Amino acid sequence: MRVLFFAQLKDVTGCDAIELAAPALNGEQLWAELQGKFPALAAHRAHVRLARNWEYATPGMMFSADDEIALIPPVSGG
Amino acid sequence: MEIDVQLVPGPIAETISPHSIGRHGAWLEFRGVVRDEENGERISALEYEAYPEMARREIRRLIEEISARHPCLAAKVVHRVGIIPVGETAIYVGVAAGHRAEAIALLAEFMNKLKQDVPIWKRRALSSVAANVNLQNAGSPQSADLHRRLQKMLSLDEAMSEIQSRCLPLPGVRASLEECHGRVLHETVCALTDAPDGDRSTRDGYAILQDDPLEAFTVVDTLHAADWKPRELKAGQAVRVATGASLPCEHLRVVMQENVERTGDKIRITKHEAASNMRKRGAEIKAGQPLLSAGTRLDAGKLALLASAGCVRPLVNPRLRVVHFTTGDELVPPEQAPKPGQVRDSNSILIRSLLQKYACNLEQVHLPENFELAKSVIGHRPSVFENSDLLLISGGASVGDKDFTRPLLEWLGFEIVFSQVNIRPGRPLIFGQSGARIAFGLPGNPLSHFVCFHLFTATALAKLTGNEPPKFLRSLLAVKLEEAPNPRETLWPARLDAAGLHPLAWASSGDMTCMAETNALIRVPANHSPMATGTEVKFLPTATLLEGS
Repeated sequence: MRVLFFAQLKDVTGCDAIELAAPALNGEQLWAELQGKFPALAAHRAHVRLARNWEYATPGMMFSADDEIALIPPVSGG
Repeated sequence: MEIDVQLVPGPIAETISPHSIGRHGAWLEFRGVVRDEENGERISALEYEAYPEMARREIRRLIEEISARHPCLAAKVVHRVGIIPVGETAIYVGVAAGHRAEAIALLAEFMNKLKQDVPIWKRRALSSVAANVNLQNAGSPQSADLHRRLQKMLSLDEAMSEIQSRCLPLPGVRASLEECHGRVLHETVCALTDAPDGDRSTRDGYAILQDDPLEAFTVVDTLHAADWKPRELKAGQAVRVATGASLPCEHLRVVMQENVERTGDKIRITKHEAASNMRKRGAEIKAGQPLLSAGTRLDAGKLALLASAGCVRPLVNPRLRVVHFTTGDELVPPEQAPKPGQVRDSNSILIRSLLQKYACNLEQVHLPENFELAKSVIGHRPSVFENSDLLLISGGASVGDKDFTRPLLEWLGFEIVFSQVNIRPGRPLIFGQSGARIAFGLPGNPLSHFVCFHLFTATALAKLTGNEPPKFLRSLLAVKLEEAPNPRETLWPARLDAAGLHPLAWASSGDMTCMAETNALIRVPANHSPMATGTEVKFLPTATLLEGS
């Protein structure tokens, strides 16, 4: 699965996307994977929403290998 | 309902026509425009970033959701991304409806929800200086000049002289000798008394009048080293004296005890000698004579001299207050095992150690490599920063050094004097000034740190403390320096020993093993390599002889 980072999370991870070789994960497992790779993400977790295939993820949603996942920090458009 | 959503990288058209001509009674347009202020800062542009696929879908979803409650005929949303100058449109929304009430309600609710849910971010605010450069706004002569200056790459000599001309010595303070090691004297200290303060014997023996012709004497007193018993001697009188003892009056000489035969309190000279065996008053220093001149750096020997002269609170440079910000989210503390992509922080101890020879109070703070978070870290401890004389920022690697350090320095009120020097390693060096405060943005790699510190930071430290700036010395290459000609002036790490300079192999500006061996930097002018054994070169020592041996 592909995971995208935006705005300040690009600074935190040092990249704008990574490829995660993982089977289906729930939100908790996904966060565990990501924090394993980028411990600094932990500080942002409370404010970051997950998106799957261009929509905000809902509680209990599973993320699978073909999904495009994005970490959405607080937005500030307009 | 017709919905048209666009994300565009350039300016948004002045007029946008409605899609549903004939059917609508209201066409409401809104433009969100970049203001010249962001979080209380004067800015000249905002940079926006979007997750385009999702942003378009979210905008469409929001309008559909809201129009279920406030039915409208058509909506058009255009959001600009990238750098948007002050006064230009960031978002355009046009809403067509049968009546104005629905259009107004939809617009109001849409704009509120856009700011909660649509993945578009104000990435950063660009301050006036940075924005002019980034926008290549060559239209105005002022910004063109600014652009030239900021982009100009200074030579090593230009950079050094720019630093020297901008750093002024901090006003001196009086400090006790215990606090003065490594500080620079800001006054010339003169001797208050003669040294020695009276004639002293340099032998164990007998003091007699200088011109006494007699051979036999009566011993009238005994003086130990610490005794002070002035008396006038008469012809035929002698005083037993120990080495170092103050002689009881002037115009005496000392006869060594080996050249005297003593019986009770009587002595007789058995061998005549030419030497007077004494140190005359003021032989080392006369009262009023300068002991140390202003600009002298105080080391152990000089502090001992000041102590002996009774100068216990000399006027010296104040302790420098240095703040060192490390950046780089890839850094972990040295005691921690780095995960893939992480590295141990070596710059903190490097800077701390390099500063050790200067009297300074050092605060080291790690900043998250995110402008907003970094600002809040600094904002929580404003006194740390506000009371500093020198600010050092170690660049991180995960964002370009300049992208982070320069805006941060500008936010802190520094004028960026230059941001590139035509050397390697260490080209992206940033030098800033704010009143008497000086700042350096040091390129992140350790060897670049090492080079930039010895060339530039040391120059600033010398000027701030009132000391002589670092000088290049000359020596010969003990072995040849093998490298293809390089268009950039190079500071080549080397080891100096009795045979001369040995250039060290360095693979990159991150080379740490080479740095551990280095005690000199060879100045290799542009296109001067390779250089043969025996070539005379300029070099900068990076360790004292003791440290380097």
